[in-house]
Amino acid sequence: MKYSVFICGFAVWTLLAVASLDAHHSPSAIFDMTKHIAITGTLTRVDWVNPHIVLSMEAKGEGGKVEQWKLESNPPSWYKSVGLARADFAKAIGQTITVEAVKARDGSLYGYMDKIKLPDGTSYELVNGAEAK
Amino acid sequence: MMNRMPALIAFAVLVQGVVFAQQPRHPDLTGVWSYAIDRAPAALKKEVNGQVVIQKIDQSARHGDASTVKGVQASTPRPAYKPEYMAKLKDLADHESRTDPVFSCGKPGIPRIGPPRKIVQLPKETIFLYEDISGDPYRVIPTDGRLHRQYPNPSAYGDSIGKWEGDVFVVDVTGFGDDTWFGEDGYFHTDAMHVIERIWKDGDNLIWQATVEEPKVLAKPWVMPARLLKPSNDALEESPRCVESDGARLLNDDHHLQR
Repeated sequence: MKYSVFICGFAVWTLLAVASLDAHHSPSAIFDMTKHIAITGTLTRVDWVNPHIVLSMEAKGEGGKVEQWKLESNPPSWYKSVGLARADFAKAIGQTITVEAVKARDGSLYGYMDKIKLPDGTSYELVNGAEAK
Repeated sequence: MMNRMPALIAFAVLVQGVVFAQQPRHPDLTGVWSYAIDRAPAALKKEVNGQVVIQKIDQSARHGDASTVKGVQASTPRPAYKPEYMAKLKDLADHESRTDPVFSCGKPGIPRIGPPRKIVQLPKETIFLYEDISGDPYRVIPTDGRLHRQYPNPSAYGDSIGKWEGDVFVVDVTGFGDDTWFGEDGYFHTDAMHVIERIWKDGDNLIWQATVEEPKVLAKPWVMPARLLKPSNDALEESPRCVESDGARLLNDDHHLQR
């Protein structure tokens, strides 16, 4: 099993509280905000789209079966504002990454990514802006 | 004849100079203006080789307070709907995660899109450029005194004409469809909506304030809170395409948590 579940104390809702022009659904309507998962697998695709970027990856699930995951995250404009572009993620396509996310309530292999660790050891994590120092 | 040519040229230049001098001088609104909308309050924690860097979001342009700026009209935070439309408004607002067209990559339209990101002010027209997840709209606003088109096709950004009232650029917008909201929380309208945008300089900053007149559904015109925009050096970029992928996963009507 390549992904694990743990409880996250971070208020992930802040991640989706985005601009009026980037308005989107309440995360609690889609994701179980109390269950945080970590997925290790191969990054297969990076879609730099609105209203949320989407990363696709393959990871082994129960019994070693390969699962196709999709992880959305903040809008492209948000990532632009912190100096990240598609290429910062896409350079890891075909390589092993680890993602932390909250999982969709509907049971699908879908989540909201708040941390990614790339093969070169670099990690990017969405943290609470009000508390960050 | 040849001997008269320099004199004729000089005379023509003089006439044009007089004409130019007699034209009213307006403030130049040309420029890129800060992205005066909310951004997610999250920060980015970047860790490379054990070095941790926290990249915070510049939210200096977030809802810039323009309430005390000279020329700003008294506003209310919400529009006043006629009593017979309150139930519809509440129903749309209660289910906004499913009913807001913007949530499905729809156009925000005027005035919801807010002030333009870039303004190009020309002698006979002014061009507004925007960045938006639904696409990157533009508006070419004639300022040559023409009237509204008689039969414009209904649209999200309407038919605009501009004029100057002193140092204030006033844009009159009609010709709307009825499939956008003019604000969050279910602010529906009909094709009778009429919007007046007022834009002016306050020092180096830009002030934008809009009024929504909707005689069919509003009890009175809604003067929106003014927005203050700061000059920006950011270049406009094509917005990535919008691909809605969450709608089918909504399991309740929880509101988004923008504000």
